[in-house]
Amino acid sequence: MPATLFDKVWDRHVVTGDDQTALLYIDRHLVHEVTSPQAFEGLRLAGRKVRRPDLTFATPDHNVPTDNQLDIREPMSRRQVETLRSNCREFGLTLYDVGSGRQGIVHVIGPELGITLPGLTIVCGDSHTSTHGAFGALAFGIGTSEVEHVLATQTLMQGARPKSLGIEVMGRLPEGLGPKDIILAIIRRIGTGGGTGCVIEYHGSAISSLSMEGRMTICNMSIEGGARAGLIAPDETTFEYIATGERPFAPRGQALEAAIADWKTLRTEDSSQFDERVSIDASRLVPQVTWGTNPGMTVDVTARVPEPDDVPFASKEDARRALDYMGLQPGTPIMDIPVDVVFIGSCTNGRIEDLRVAARVFAGRKVAPGVRALVVPGSEAVRAQAHAEGLDRVFEAAGAEWRLSGCSMCLAMNPDKLTPGQRAASTSNRNFEGRQGPGGRTHLVSPAMAAAAAVTGRFADVRQLLDQEA
Amino acid sequence: MKAFTKERGTLALLDWSDVNTDVIIPARYLKRIERTGYGPLLFADKRYVAGGAPPVDDPVKGGALDTAFPLNQPKYEKASILVVGKNFGCGSSREHAVWAVEQAGFRVMIAPGKNEGFADIFEGNALNNGLLVVELSDDDWSKVAQAARADAPIEADVDLGTNVLKVFAADGAFSVRFDLAEGPRQKLLKGLDAIGETLQHAMAISRYEQGAPPWAARPGVSV
Repeated sequence: MPATLFDKVWDRHVVTGDDQTALLYIDRHLVHEVTSPQAFEGLRLAGRKVRRPDLTFATPDHNVPTDNQLDIREPMSRRQVETLRSNCREFGLTLYDVGSGRQGIVHVIGPELGITLPGLTIVCGDSHTSTHGAFGALAFGIGTSEVEHVLATQTLMQGARPKSLGIEVMGRLPEGLGPKDIILAIIRRIGTGGGTGCVIEYHGSAISSLSMEGRMTICNMSIEGGARAGLIAPDETTFEYIATGERPFAPRGQALEAAIADWKTLRTEDSSQFDERVSIDASRLVPQVTWGTNPGMTVDVTARVPEPDDVPFASKEDARRALDYMGLQPGTPIMDIPVDVVFIGSCTNGRIEDLRVAARVFAGRKVAPGVRALVVPGSEAVRAQAHAEGLDRVFEAAGAEWRLSGCSMCLAMNPDKLTPGQRAASTSNRNFEGRQGPGGRTHLVSPAMAAAAAVTGRFADVRQLLDQEA
Repeated sequence: MKAFTKERGTLALLDWSDVNTDVIIPARYLKRIERTGYGPLLFADKRYVAGGAPPVDDPVKGGALDTAFPLNQPKYEKASILVVGKNFGCGSSREHAVWAVEQAGFRVMIAPGKNEGFADIFEGNALNNGLLVVELSDDDWSKVAQAARADAPIEADVDLGTNVLKVFAADGAFSVRFDLAEGPRQKLLKGLDAIGETLQHAMAISRYEQGAPPWAARPGVSV
């Protein structure tokens, strides 16, 4: 009898195999323009077809401009998006193109469309596929050779079963903090390699009280802790999300009832069964800000930039290189660091709830002089919802740019990028060197903290801004 | 995939931890739809002087090399065995990172720490491309890294048939054993086509599909 949620989902999908290798069936395959062209080319060269076009869903997200999506002026970006279009036509795949009303970041539209469901295996040529684990799916990123393998066979050959890492998050998250603060605190605790070889299951009262959007933010960054995937057991919050709204690929009617009965069994019976365990008290957290060049290099907003010999998981030399790149002096209070750009969006924090949180901070305030603030919805559906709630007017009244949907400045494959030396407060997932543009300096924060930085012009403790309202 | 049995080559050392895939190959080069031509793009924002990284639409044209970047030392010029720090390849799933390493002339990578040396996705991608990734104990890795710090090029033999790495260090040759799971090892030794191998299980895959619950097997099902 498998003991953990992960074991249950894994075991259900073994087509053939033993302890050392397993051929896993893949239930859903998400495809975007960046990591798929070479895979389709491989199929063509070998004369192979896509085995299950009905389980394969595509959308362009990384390259699309967020000012005018229909006019990709950068030739290399345009060629890549057009290649996705022609590959989808040739192989008979469903494509959610720009202007369809359902385009968006692949990890935002999967759940919106009901493609993402509990108990499934979901892959995509994209490391943030871990996002879908928020539904109790086993979801992970793969390389392009594996994309080709899944297109051709609807399976993946896997080595020995990953270990399980149970991360319990207890207590009530204080006002002004969000799921992003939880996951940054977790990565800070375990390090960027702490989850290597593991699948994480997040559990505990601070997890089960989160909305699906919040759970997605947590699972999304599992990969930043090195984990193969991150899961959260499905519950009433999950079922409610799936059962409501316009989700063409979610089961309905009797099929949904049967599914929910099954999904209720997808839980870890006994948390002592995890191979490794970590526990975090959410009630003691303060807003988190990264100072360095990986997501483990995180401190409290109330703290200072650390000394190079006081950085967990990094050698003194590695820490010094990070400080140099970031242009920071040890001992500088985080709240003394000015920002040039604020980016609110990405598959981590580009959902409606994230925009609501940011709008609450922007309301009645102005973006500080000299600061550029971009708000980029994760999908066309999120953008439409934000319009319906009037959030766009809040952003524009504050002086922030309200953009069209896509990955945008998270990785700067479209025209939204930092210039060398610019410093950003970003709700995205990676503060790697050059991630948001060559020479750009990224600090990862929650949407509330990003909005607070935008209106203050430097990092600020959003709890103080919210106190002023009360 | 081409087979890997053994490699005789020289060592190069990049003694940095947590080298992520954005550093290995910046995202802007992922706009290319080709599978080749990534060699000059390896470490593009580190390897060339400021402003010297190749343009996205013409990746062969890099500027002058930055002499401060460790891999640009003349002694490493012809290296085919790349020794790196812990958690190499963390971050994105881009296989372009492996293509860049391999197309820059490396056939073997060596990192410290069992299950800690390479990030999971990078490791899988490497093995799918015939690039051997070896994780050594910290002690063994330190010996290899120290050898690579010599002033002259240091040769090494990597034999996947015997799982032995022999380093011809400046102060005398030494050998260390390495492990690789038997599945990937056999795949590398035989250079098997992964898709072709899996398609031998086509019957089992069809049987699995017939047994899957409707909500999993048919997106949008209502009965």
